[in-house]
Amino acid sequence: MNEHRTNHVAPRLLVAVTLAVLLALPAVAGAEQGAQVPVSTFKLDNGMEFLAVQRPELSTVYAAWVAHVGSSNERPGITGISHFFEHMMFKGTHTIGTTNITRDLEIMDELEKIQEQIRAEDRKQRERYRLGEIDNPFDPEQRTPKMVELEARFNELMEEQRSLMVKDEFDKVYTEAGGSGMNAFTNEDMTGYFVNVPANKLELWFWMESDRLLNPVFREFYTERDVVYEERRLRTESTPTGKFDELFESMFWQSHPYGWPVVGWPSDLESYSMAQAKAYYDTYYAANNLTGILVGNFDLDQAKALAERYFGRLPQRTAPAPDVVTLEMQQLAEKRMVAECDCQPQVQVAYHTVPFRHKDSYALDVMTGILNGNTGRLYKSLVLDQGIASSASTNQNSRKWAGAFTFNAEAKGDATPEQLEQAWYAELKRLQDEPVPAEELQKVKNNIAADAFRRLENPFFLCLQLIFYDGLGDWHYLNYWADKTLEVTAEDVQRVAKEYFDPTNSAVGLYRRSADAPAEEMSPELAALPAQLRPMVQAQLKQIQASQSADELESALNQLLSQKDQMPPQVQPIVPVLEKALRERIEELSAAPAAGGES
Amino acid sequence: MSRRFLAVRHGLAVALILAAASPVLAAAKASNGAIPQRPEQLRYPALDFEVPPAAPFYHELAGGIPVYVAEDHTLPLVTVSITLRAGSFLEGGEVGPGVAALTGTMIRQGGTAQRSAEEFDEKVDFLAADINTTGGDISSGANLNCITGVLDEGLGLFFEMLKTPGFDGGRLDVAKSNLLEGMKQRNDDAGQILDREWQWLLYGHDYFGSKQLTADELAAIGRDDLIAFHDRYWRPENMIITVSGDVDTKDVLAKLGKQLASWPGNGTAAAWPPPEPDFKPTAGLYHYEKDIPQAKVFIGHQGLEWQDWDDPDAAPLQVMNEIFGAGGFTSRLVKRIRSDEGLAYSAGSVFTIEPFRPGQFYMLFQSKNSTVALASKIALEELARIRDEPVSDEELKIAKQSLVETFPRRFESPRAVVRVYAQDTFQGRPHEYWQKWRDRIRAVTAEDVQRVAKRYLDPDGLVFLVVGPWEQIAPGDADHRADMNLFFGGKVTDLPQLDPLSLEPVP
Repeated sequence: MNEHRTNHVAPRLLVAVTLAVLLALPAVAGAEQGAQVPVSTFKLDNGMEFLAVQRPELSTVYAAWVAHVGSSNERPGITGISHFFEHMMFKGTHTIGTTNITRDLEIMDELEKIQEQIRAEDRKQRERYRLGEIDNPFDPEQRTPKMVELEARFNELMEEQRSLMVKDEFDKVYTEAGGSGMNAFTNEDMTGYFVNVPANKLELWFWMESDRLLNPVFREFYTERDVVYEERRLRTESTPTGKFDELFESMFWQSHPYGWPVVGWPSDLESYSMAQAKAYYDTYYAANNLTGILVGNFDLDQAKALAERYFGRLPQRTAPAPDVVTLEMQQLAEKRMVAECDCQPQVQVAYHTVPFRHKDSYALDVMTGILNGNTGRLYKSLVLDQGIASSASTNQNSRKWAGAFTFNAEAKGDATPEQLEQAWYAELKRLQDEPVPAEELQKVKNNIAADAFRRLENPFFLCLQLIFYDGLGDWHYLNYWADKTLEVTAEDVQRVAKEYFDPTNSAVGLYRRSADAPAEEMSPELAALPAQLRPMVQAQLKQIQASQSADELESALNQLLSQKDQMPPQVQPIVPVLEKALRERIEELSAAPAAGGES
Repeated sequence: MSRRFLAVRHGLAVALILAAASPVLAAAKASNGAIPQRPEQLRYPALDFEVPPAAPFYHELAGGIPVYVAEDHTLPLVTVSITLRAGSFLEGGEVGPGVAALTGTMIRQGGTAQRSAEEFDEKVDFLAADINTTGGDISSGANLNCITGVLDEGLGLFFEMLKTPGFDGGRLDVAKSNLLEGMKQRNDDAGQILDREWQWLLYGHDYFGSKQLTADELAAIGRDDLIAFHDRYWRPENMIITVSGDVDTKDVLAKLGKQLASWPGNGTAAAWPPPEPDFKPTAGLYHYEKDIPQAKVFIGHQGLEWQDWDDPDAAPLQVMNEIFGAGGFTSRLVKRIRSDEGLAYSAGSVFTIEPFRPGQFYMLFQSKNSTVALASKIALEELARIRDEPVSDEELKIAKQSLVETFPRRFESPRAVVRVYAQDTFQGRPHEYWQKWRDRIRAVTAEDVQRVAKRYLDPDGLVFLVVGPWEQIAPGDADHRADMNLFFGGKVTDLPQLDPLSLEPVP
C-alpha cells in the first residue's frame, strides 16, 4: 500500500469535489474545485495519532506534535499553566540537560521543600494584603525576613543544580544538527511544538520529542515564571491596547474559560507549584491526547517504524482527557466597555456565535468575505464613502468549544468610535434585510477557491494548519472547508446575519485616545504648556466645559486670579489657559438660555 | 516538472541492497532499530545538497531586462514579482519627501487610465488575483499571484496598472488620510518609538533610510508628483523580474516581452547605487520617556558595508554574531539574560553587512523597568567577553554546524531560488557567492571570531537607547545588583518627546 508514496515526483495535490452547479454567473476557471492535501494517517497502540504529508522536493521535514490542551482546560488558580508548560518542555529530560541526573533530582526535591515553606509565607503575605497591611503580596520589597532567608537557601541550591546542568541542551542538540525554527505556541485549545530538521535527520526529532514526553524534568521551574511574566509584560501590559483586550475578553465570556488570558492572571503566574504542574501533565500530555505531524521529505514506512519505536514507548492511557464542560451562559443584556489608551480611537463589537465545524460557521465565514477586503462592504462604506475609518474588518473565530464574531474599526479624522459602531449596525442591517447579490457572492467564493490552493504553497504553513485543525478537533477540515464554504447560499448568509447579531448577544468596546497623549485636537494654548502640566489642565478644562453654572465658574475664576501669585513659577503657565477657558465658558452660559433647570 | 536540488548520498552497499527504497530509509534501517542512549549516537546518511546553478533560470528580455523563471507545477498558481530600482533614495530636489512610498501605494489603489479605481479593484477581486505594489527606500515592487486559469487576464490587469496607473484623486485623498492616521499612532507603541529613534541616532535625520515623513510633507504631495515619479522611474529598464509556479517558461517569457515592449513614455534608469548616509553616531546613553511597565533597549553602533563580496571577515562575523546573540537559546545573550536570570522574554543581537550603507550592530532586549540596568550590565559584560576571550570549541562547532546545515533552506522552493538570484542581481552580488558560502563558514576559527569581534565591536562607541519610564528604570533592581549610573557615568541625554505629526519637540 505504500509503493505509490515513495516516489520522488512532486505530489499533484489531488483535485476533488466538482461542484455540480455553481451559480449562473461565471466562476474563475480552474478555481471551482477545492484543493485536497493527501494526508496519510496512522495510530499507535497507545493512542497517539500521526498525520504525514510527503513533499519530496524539500530538503527538510517540518515536524510537530500537538497536545490537545490549552488555557480553556485550566481553572482559577492555575490560569496560564498550559502556556507555562510549553516553556517547561524545553528544560530537558533525564538525559538532556544534566551531567548527573541522580543529584539533579535530589536537588529538585530539596528545592520543592523550600518552595513549600515559601508558599506558607505566601499565604501570610496574601493575608496581610487582604488586611490592607501591604499593597502587593508579591512585592520583593515587602518580603518577610523568613522569605528572604528561604529564597537565599533556594538560590544556593539552584546554584548547585546549575553547576550540574547542561544549559539549554535541548536547543543545542537540535541547533548543531541543523534543526531550525524550533518553537511552540499555546492558545485556548491547544499547545503545538514544531521544528524544521534536515531530511536525513528525521530520527533525531523522534528521539528528542519522545524523550521529552517520556522523561521530562521541569528544571528552572521557578525562574521560568519570571520569563513568562516578562512575556506577559511584553505582549499584554506594554502594548497600546493589550490590557484592554484582556479586559474585553473577560467581559465578553461570562461562564466559559475563554474569559481568562492564555498567559494567565499575574497572581496565578506567581503561584504555580510543581505538584500542580505534574498533575496537569499526567492528564493532558498522555499519548492519547497527542498528534504527531510531519510535512516534508521522508519515507512513510520509515516514519511509521520510527513512530512506533520511539513514541510507542509512551504509556497507554485509556481514559480520554476531560472535556471542557462549562457552556457559555445565554447573554441577557448588551455589555459595554469604554477605555482610554495611547491608541487610535477604535471600536470592537463582538457576538457569541458558533464553535469549530458548526454547520453555520461556513456561512459566517462567507459573511466576513462579503464585509472584508478592498472591495468588501466595510472598506467601501466606512473608509471610501463615509471617510470615517482608516480600517474596518470582521472575523469569525471558531474555537473548539465556542466561537465569536467580531467587528473592528479604527477612526479617522474627527470621527468617533460611536460613529463607527453605528456604521457597523447599518451594514449589518443591510445583510439582515437583503440577500447578497449573486455576483458579490461569487466573488467571495472565487477567492475562497483560490485561497484553498494558496494556503498549501508553503510547507511550514501547511504544517501549522494541520497542528491547528487537529488541535481544534479535526484536521480533515483542511480538506473540506473550501467545499462546505462554496455550498453557502445568499439565504444562508442572510439567515445567520439575523440569527446571531442581536445587541443582547454582543459586547462593545470603545477606545478613546488618552487625554494626556499628544493629539492633533490639542489647542495651541494647551500644546504650549509643559507636558507634565497638561493632564491636570486638561482635566480642569473638561470640568469647565461640563459646568452649567456661570456663578460657579465666576467664583472659580476669582479664586484662580487671587491665588495666582502664590503659585510656584513652574505652574504659572496654566493660569492664562484656565482663565481663557473660564471666561469663554462663562460668556457661553450667559448668552444661552438656562438649560436643564440649572440656574 | 518540479526541479529537485536534493540528492541523498548513501553508502554503495546499502544502495545496492535497497535500490528501490528511499535512501534515508535505507540508512535508518541500517541503524537496526535500537534506541541509542544519547542523540549524538544516532547515525545519519549524508545529505548532499548542491546549490542549484543560476543559469538555467536566467533569461533576458529585449533591452537586457533580467527575468528569473522557475517552473513548479505542484499547484495551479503563478507568482510574478517585479523589483525596481526606485525608492526614497531618489527623493530630494524635484522629488518631494514621501513621493516614492506614496507612488508605490497608489499605483495599486488608484485605478488605471482605462478603468476607474472601483472597476479595477472589482475586476481583480473577482478573478481572485492578488496584486500589490509598494515603494520602499532602495527598492519598489509589484506582485501578482493568481490561479493558472486566469493568468492571461491577471497579467493583462497587472501590466495595465503598471503602465498606465490612474492615480485617482479621491483614492489619493483616502490614502493620504489613512497615512495621517498612522502618523498619529507614532508614539503609542514603544517599539515604534525605539525603531525610529534608533535609526536617527545611527544614521541621522537626513538620510533617506531613516527619514520619517511629517504631516506637512504628506499634505504637500500632489497627484502630479506621483505621475511624474512613476513616469520617470517605474520603467522596464529599472526592473528585475521573477516568475514562479505553474507556467511554461517560453510561454511566459513571450507574454512578458510583449507587455514590456509596449511600455509608453520615456524615463531614465535610476542613478545607482543609492547615496550613502553622511553621519557619524555619537556614543552615549539616550532615553525617551514612555509610561510602560517594561522598557525596551537597543545598544550598539553602525555595522559593516559590503566592499568586497569575498571579504574574509564576513563569515567570521556571521559566526561571531551567532554565538553572541543571534543563535537563539544557544547564544550567550539569551542564555544569560533570559535563561539564567529570567530578566527578559526576548534578548539577542543583530549584526548586518549591507550593500549600500554601513549595516548595524545592536544588542536588544525588553525587561521590567527595575531590571533594565541589570540586563544591560550583563549585555556589556558579554560584549567585553567576546572580544577578550576566544569562543569555546563547542560554541564554535554548534554555530558553524547550524549555519551550514540550515543553508539549504534558503533554496527550499523554486520561488525561493529565483528570489535569491534576483536579489543577487539587485545588490550586485555574484551568484558564486552561494557556492562558496558553506566552505567559508566551515573554515572559521576561534581566532577569526575574536579578531572580528575586536575589530568590529566597539565598547567605546556604543549608542545606548532606552524607551521607558526613567524614574523606575534609573534606580535599578531591588537587590541593588545594578543601576543606570553604571553607564556613561549616569549621564543621560533625554530625547525630546515629539509631536507625532510634526515630529517637532513638544514644548
